Amino acid sequence: MIRSVMVMNTQGKPRLAKFYDFQTVEKQQELIRSVFGVLCSRAENVSNFLDAASIFGPDSSLVYKHYATLYFVLVFDSSENELAMLDLIQVFVETLDKCFKNVCELDIVFNYSKIHTILDEMIFGGQVLETSSTELVKAVEEISRLESASNSITLVPKSVSGWRNR
Amino acid sequence: MALSGMRGLSVFISDIRNCPNKEQERLRVDKELGNVRTRFKNEKGLSPYEKKKYVWKMLYIYMLGYDVDFGHMEAVSLISAPKYPEKQVGYIVTACLLNENHDFLRLAINTVRNDIIGRNETFQCLALTMVGNIGGRDFAESLAPDVQKLLISSSARPLVRKKAALCLLRLYRKNPDVVNVDGWADRMAQLLDERDLGVLTSSMSLLVALVSNNHEAYWSCLPKCVKTLERLARNQDVPQEYTYYGIPSPWLQVKTMRALQYFPTIEDPNTRRSLFEVLQRILMGTDVVKNVNKNNASHAVLFEALALVMHLDAEKEMMSQCVALLGKFIAVREPNIRYLGLENMSRMLLVTDVQDIIKRHQAQIITSLKDPDISIRRRALDLLYGMCDVTNAKDIVEEILQYLSTAEFAMREELSLKAAILAEKFAPDLSWYVDVILQLIDKAGDFVSDDIWFRVVQFVTNNEDLQPYAAAKAREYLDKPAIHETMVKVSAYLIGEFGHLLARRPGCSPKELFSIIHEKLPTVSSSTIPILLSTYAKLLMHTQPPEPELQNLVWAIFNKYESCIDAEIQQRAVEYFALSRKGAALMDILAEMPKFPERQSSLIKKAEDIEVDTAEQSAIKLRALQQTSNALVVTDQRPANGTPPVLGRVMVPSMSSNVDHHVADQGLSQENGTLTTVDPQPPSADLLVDLLGPLAIEGPPSADVQPQQNIVSGVEGVPNAVEATAIVPVGEQTNSVQPIGSVAERFQALCVKDSGVLYEDPYIQIGIKAEWRAHQGRLVLFLGNKNTNPLLSVQAIILPPSHLKLELSLVPETIPPRAQVQCPLEIVNLRPSRDVAVLDFSYKFGNDMVNCKLRLPAVLSKFLQPIPVSAEEFFPQWRSLSGPPLKLQEVVRGVKPMPLLDMANLFNSLRLMVSPGLDPNPNNLVASTTFYSESTRAMLCLARIETDPADRTQLRLTVASGDPTLTFELKEFIKEQLVSIPTASRAPAPAPPAPQPTSPPAAALTDDPGALLAGLL
Repeated sequence: MIRSVMVMNTQGKPRLAKFYDFQTVEKQQELIRSVFGVLCSRAENVSNFLDAASIFGPDSSLVYKHYATLYFVLVFDSSENELAMLDLIQVFVETLDKCFKNVCELDIVFNYSKIHTILDEMIFGGQVLETSSTELVKAVEEISRLESASNSITLVPKSVSGWRNR
Repeated sequence: MALSGMRGLSVFISDIRNCPNKEQERLRVDKELGNVRTRFKNEKGLSPYEKKKYVWKMLYIYMLGYDVDFGHMEAVSLISAPKYPEKQVGYIVTACLLNENHDFLRLAINTVRNDIIGRNETFQCLALTMVGNIGGRDFAESLAPDVQKLLISSSARPLVRKKAALCLLRLYRKNPDVVNVDGWADRMAQLLDERDLGVLTSSMSLLVALVSNNHEAYWSCLPKCVKTLERLARNQDVPQEYTYYGIPSPWLQVKTMRALQYFPTIEDPNTRRSLFEVLQRILMGTDVVKNVNKNNASHAVLFEALALVMHLDAEKEMMSQCVALLGKFIAVREPNIRYLGLENMSRMLLVTDVQDIIKRHQAQIITSLKDPDISIRRRALDLLYGMCDVTNAKDIVEEILQYLSTAEFAMREELSLKAAILAEKFAPDLSWYVDVILQLIDKAGDFVSDDIWFRVVQFVTNNEDLQPYAAAKAREYLDKPAIHETMVKVSAYLIGEFGHLLARRPGCSPKELFSIIHEKLPTVSSSTIPILLSTYAKLLMHTQPPEPELQNLVWAIFNKYESCIDAEIQQRAVEYFALSRKGAALMDILAEMPKFPERQSSLIKKAEDIEVDTAEQSAIKLRALQQTSNALVVTDQRPANGTPPVLGRVMVPSMSSNVDHHVADQGLSQENGTLTTVDPQPPSADLLVDLLGPLAIEGPPSADVQPQQNIVSGVEGVPNAVEATAIVPVGEQTNSVQPIGSVAERFQALCVKDSGVLYEDPYIQIGIKAEWRAHQGRLVLFLGNKNTNPLLSVQAIILPPSHLKLELSLVPETIPPRAQVQCPLEIVNLRPSRDVAVLDFSYKFGNDMVNCKLRLPAVLSKFLQPIPVSAEEFFPQWRSLSGPPLKLQEVVRGVKPMPLLDMANLFNSLRLMVSPGLDPNPNNLVASTTFYSESTRAMLCLARIETDPADRTQLRLTVASGDPTLTFELKEFIKEQLVSIPTASRAPAPAPPAPQPTSPPAAALTDDPGALLAGLL
């Protein structure tokens, strides 16, 4: 079972955090901080695996992948295959890329709700739901069609990311 | 991308991003929360869009780490909104903010249920997602049946069904008692026929959960899993969108192989063959390629295949192929593959027979201990720890020690604990063990727990040979300029206890020892000072005749600490000061510490506790558990004060009290052996014996004998043990090593099963595993040394009765510490006889010579093969064997009363197959079997028991076979079993001499050494 999905930037700011076992908000922050503490000290060109037992308790593993300014992290137990989890991160990022065309950190920051939707189509209650990025994009498009059908809210243009870049 | 956004949300996020510091951020968040709160109060004025916007803001704030303790109701109420966008946000936020026990969830159950059973698929999906993410008990109770229906519904789209499968899985995992899955096996089997790979992936996950709980019910799914795997591995009918970097859905392949690992075995040969074909293809067809993603995916499949091969106990050839692959992986450049290679090699250690192949990669594994990646170093350490045994302990521990000095702090504690455990478990000699621990303390003192140095002190105290060496080593370390406090503790303790053994070595006079230790005192904490004070007191005591100068120095220190604020230090100072003025009486009180009772190392215990795995137990883990349960564990069998110390008296093993009786009783002893121990010194374990021991040896009144001895021993460097043995006349103090558990009962148990423990005492455990085929047998003796000292002069002699041909392979003279030696024994049965073979086993532990004679469970019944017979076969045969000597009858009295059913079970366990209903009289039993020996070949034997329901203590026994000796022996054998049902300790009422049997047992006594011994016992 997947216990948690986290996306955080290289400064340790959480961009997405999902826990499939309920955690209090304090505990969530603590976990995010500890994971970042370990991640930031990792060199390039090392493995994508980390010992997570000290952070998440026994029977937990962690894989992560570093893309530009973001870390994508999956925490899971021994019933999952480590490399398959790593592949899942890749699928997630490829799907984001298809949805946002050259996805960058700001896309994720400003499209918080959409990231949630995509993740929910991919991981369901801690289990892998869909692994095909084509299918994922289809599902997400259907949802956005439903959303726009019932209200006519203006789209946030992609330029918003440049629009208030600090 | 056409996902709609919310301008208000974006603006808020931008504001947060523009906050220069955390304070500003908090202000902004508080402002927003206040805003949201007021808007929610006046709910009427909110448009659905606004609601949605505010709820998303709350979720964002929540992620930033601020508690959002309001708006829950609003979130939940959005669920019942009629339109998609509000409903959607209601579901998503509820899933994120509320835990499964939240009261509001109950309010929503009805709405959720309506969405699930409704016609709107998008609503179904939303509801399933929320239920699956939360998975509460209330949900399980009221929604599971609907979710189940949805999963198998033929009209629902794949998009809905795959969510239903996972939703059910989540509800089942969290509340297995609530979700009813009885009869789901057939449905699961149907679900596995699914063509859509999305639904199939989810169904496979569900299957894994169900099978891990109860594989029995799901056998019908096994062939389907293999089919699915074949379909994927051969890339048949796999749509493009499920092909990931050229590999047909690696996730589904992995999940399928995971599911297969929950079945203990695969019985159907065809299924097994096709599975192995697929696995072989995966193992051989995977190469390391340039594209990282493709590499990861193909290796995910490969590693899962490896795990499955290990689980299935493949042929040795395939296993070595796997190890070879892993060996290749741990040397590749790709760090992920290296990591997993090491991890899987550790798992491989659980498979028997491949350890030696793994050892070939030791050098490469040691290189991985220097990998730049800590994750890889950790795996390498785990693997080295797992593969360590007596043969490579020295190399591995030295590597770990070397690595310790450069390792990062995060790993040092683990490293030092592991090094200490390995050194203790596999030390080829004890001085090496002391070296390792002292080096460990020297290099990583901060990370060496107290357990580790306590243990080394225990070892040294319990092994006289080691004491001068340890003291000398401690002295060397004290010369180093800056030593760790733990090193001060150990050295001070060792010098205090054994420093006198170094006398006359340069720099080792009591005064020199004192001053070098005292130098450290200003640098240590108050927990170490008490140890130093004891050391001073001991040094004083050992300095005979007293040196006034040293005395004055030490007394001054005691004086100084008499007013110390630390109670422990103060008490010691006061007491030692008073004691040290008592002169000779000091001897008795401050004499050497007694030996420690042998007990399981707390370190090893700790390690075992850590190793307890919380993961779901797959078969491979279960097997590992079984293996460890066979392993030897030193238990504290001797309570410290349990057995009263009886000095100078022979302790007779309790069981031989009924020796006479057994000699009288038909020549076959009920006991499996006695122990004779030649033991010049009491075994080290008993505290009281130890305390009394030295006094007895040294003559209690005149304490001044001891200093002389000490001087002598110091001069010659002879350890105390030697003197002690010289002083005590051998044989005057005899003690016996007591077996653990009843030897006789163990033998009885082994008569009806093929593996188990034959004998155990505090030092050794002898296990047995036997295989019997017709008139031949192969019996393996497992001699396990339970201690950290070697067992010496090991001797095993078989005293075979005349009817058995026995060949014991070579038994090594020494059994290394904690090692297990296997000695196969080939047995051929020449002719029928119920005599037993005896194993004369002896060894030396320390000064104890232990000898025991053990009956081997190569009894008559082992050469029987149960065979069913029908009435048509039985009666003609029974009639054709008419009367003696081929058919013998006897009335047996003094039978242990038991119900007929128990008797039938007893017969079956003796490999005499009872044929129920064959005898028309329900009080009778009829049994049949085939006996194998070289002289008789296979021979049918028939037996009949006629019981008297009025008197269960007597019965009439009739045995028939084609061989007169066989008939007689078998009859006697059965009789013995009936009158002495396994509880041998309660001596059975001796059967009155039956009229028929003459006295062949007596004859056997004279010409058969085995029987002779058994008779004597």
